[in-house]
Amino acid sequence: MSDLLQRFDSPREITAAAQRVRERAHDLALTPSQVIDTLERWGQSLRGPTVDGIPGVAFLRLWLRRGTLEPMVVRELGVEGLNGAWHEERNARLRAYPLGLIGHWPAGNIEIQPLLSLSCALLGGNACLVRVPAGLVAHTRALLEKLSEVAGAHALLERICIASFEHERADLQRAMAAAVDGAMIWGGPEAVTEIRALPFPPWARLAVFGPRLSVAAMDGPSWSGGPQRESWCRRLARDVWQFDQQACSSPQALFLERSAQGDLAEFAAMLAAAFEEENRFHPRERIHPALTSAICLARASWLLDDSTHRALFPASPDWTLLLGAGSTVPMPTQGRTLSVLLVEDLLEPIARFDGMVQTLGLAVGDDAKEAALAQAAGRNGVDRIVKLGHMHVFGSPWDGTDLVRPMVRLVRHVRANAD
Amino acid sequence: MNALAAGVGEQIDALLAAPTFSLEPAEHQARLLALLQRQLTYAADRNERLRQYLDAWPSDYRAAESVADLPYLPVRAFKASPPLMLVGTEEIIRTLASSATTGQTPSRVALDAPTSRRMVKGVVAIASDFIGSRRRPYLVIDTAETLAAGGQLGARAAAVQGLRPFATEMVCCLNGDGSREPWIDESRLAGFAAKWGEAEVLAYGFTYVIWQHFVKPLRERGIRLRMPNIRVLHSGGWKRLQDQAVTRAAFAAEVAELFGCATDRVLDFYGMVENVGVIYPDCEYGCKHVPAFAAVIVRDPLTLRPVDAGQQGLVQVCSVLPSSFPGFLVLTDDIAEVIRYDGCACGRRGISFRFVKRVPQAEIRGCGNIETARQRPAAV
Repeated sequence: MSDLLQRFDSPREITAAAQRVRERAHDLALTPSQVIDTLERWGQSLRGPTVDGIPGVAFLRLWLRRGTLEPMVVRELGVEGLNGAWHEERNARLRAYPLGLIGHWPAGNIEIQPLLSLSCALLGGNACLVRVPAGLVAHTRALLEKLSEVAGAHALLERICIASFEHERADLQRAMAAAVDGAMIWGGPEAVTEIRALPFPPWARLAVFGPRLSVAAMDGPSWSGGPQRESWCRRLARDVWQFDQQACSSPQALFLERSAQGDLAEFAAMLAAAFEEENRFHPRERIHPALTSAICLARASWLLDDSTHRALFPASPDWTLLLGAGSTVPMPTQGRTLSVLLVEDLLEPIARFDGMVQTLGLAVGDDAKEAALAQAAGRNGVDRIVKLGHMHVFGSPWDGTDLVRPMVRLVRHVRANAD
Repeated sequence: MNALAAGVGEQIDALLAAPTFSLEPAEHQARLLALLQRQLTYAADRNERLRQYLDAWPSDYRAAESVADLPYLPVRAFKASPPLMLVGTEEIIRTLASSATTGQTPSRVALDAPTSRRMVKGVVAIASDFIGSRRRPYLVIDTAETLAAGGQLGARAAAVQGLRPFATEMVCCLNGDGSREPWIDESRLAGFAAKWGEAEVLAYGFTYVIWQHFVKPLRERGIRLRMPNIRVLHSGGWKRLQDQAVTRAAFAAEVAELFGCATDRVLDFYGMVENVGVIYPDCEYGCKHVPAFAAVIVRDPLTLRPVDAGQQGLVQVCSVLPSSFPGFLVLTDDIAEVIRYDGCACGRRGISFRFVKRVPQAEIRGCGNIETARQRPAAV
């Protein structure tokens, strides 16, 4: 375990650790299927007092199932890829090989992201060097301890190095970048820009999952009445609560298609009740004072800016609903602050999306309408269109990008004797 | 528009005339609560959007049982343009602007004559409690240009002017032309020091101005003044000095050495334009106190409820002084620690607190942190 999570103080230490895990992975090839075997056992072990309270651990358990990972590998690498076999293609054959050593720079706000990122590269047969943000070290350690207890995990553990060092240590960041053959980079604008500028080798491939935001939308019948309405509110509350609304897949705005039967105040009260209920189940344990300030400012600015605006919020910063109309996605506040905006037609806000909206969570009763919205969203830069309540279900592709394939090389063997 | 409701002005004046730091906390709380409730009603009557904000507050301010239950505005709401106002523009005699750093939007508060008058009375009441009420020569460690007030007055100028009632004469010892950093007017400084060397003198400057443009250049040239009875007041925050690793103690020691006075004659105070008329000097035990016409609530960022003694949180400042802008209850972006809720050894009653730091704004907030909105215009 002590080898897995290492504190680094010098570039030399990083270079040496990178060399070690790369060699281990090179010496012992693992097929995706073999990796999945271990990951599944790890997922099953993720229970108990040391990990139960980690946000997202329930999802990690689902993610690490063979039933989740195997279809992803098959879709991205083909059926043969699952067992590291060659795939025949006319007079040639193709096979996925690992890039080598993958550096991971996860975002600081998603507790399980270091391990989600790691699992994608491991499936490609790679070694991994993961820089864990300071705030996630304890959780990552607890989750990895479970992996170290899993039978047969040794081969996997040998190719993983979890690095801990200060974000400001540019010398260590540079050493890490110089040592890898590929990188998976996640996070906000500053972090992504800084990391992309590091001196990666010319051959390194970068998969960047940069800052995005997400949006929810409900058609008239879904929010203005009907038995499903409360259920939609609960689903939306869950999507808002997870990761404290700081993930790229977190809904920041909800667009409601105007309906003759719809009463915004009544719906807002129902949504507020769902938020209150979700807060009871998942109260915050801490908050950065800057986020509290931002939430208070969002409440005041919304109400002071326009006399038609309304808002619902408790005395605490636990949640906020900002009610109004308009088809522009407001600048996100995060921290469980949802803008609820009436529009004439859901296509209006979608027409304004460019590349910034990652996920569109929908509550739409009519299949044809949903298909039309999905079509428009796809054309306007949205990468995921899902049902409300599933906005954070991490899967491939993510941000429109495969998760395993970018970190493998497809080797083409044209047989010497082929015509 | 209606002026302050009948009796409110008199109640404010009564608090201004009350012993500044010796009201019994329960009485202080009751008097403030009643007055602030009436002022919120006055504000709601005069500003529709503010009324909307008060209406959205989760509890009715008219039924509040403590000042902490009243609705407050975040300090950055005062960056709005035009400024939040409760009177017509024809009644505004001056606008105060905060000392925003480069690239930031300053807060602006609009003052009418009654607010301006109460602002002066407030500062005088507080400062008198710390330095005495006697008038004395006043050395301004800033430039005359900074003080040249048009319709808008900067935070530095406002602070300088706030102490003017203590002055028999006022001398600015820095020169500036706006195109470069200020520099010391040595002959004017030497003349002032020679004339008033042993006398009781007041000096004031922004903390970083004193350090950057006064202490450092004089220290580099080995110049020392002999003014043992000077009182040096300074304010404006420590961020720029923290960047230079200058501690409060080091600042006070350097300033005291330069003037040849004791370090306890160097007095730091906390204040902001949004809380105009209220300043918070350190007492001899290093604590800040709240006058009769104001309140401070330190709120837990997690719950926004007041913290217990010994805990830190976001500072909310409250004041009954303004009537031209809604600066009654303002949640700042500052962190303070409550030392105790009553019983400071200095004898001043009520809450005592210490400023800790500004809330750091530059936090990495992950993959959902969109700093720049990129959206297409609506399809034509």
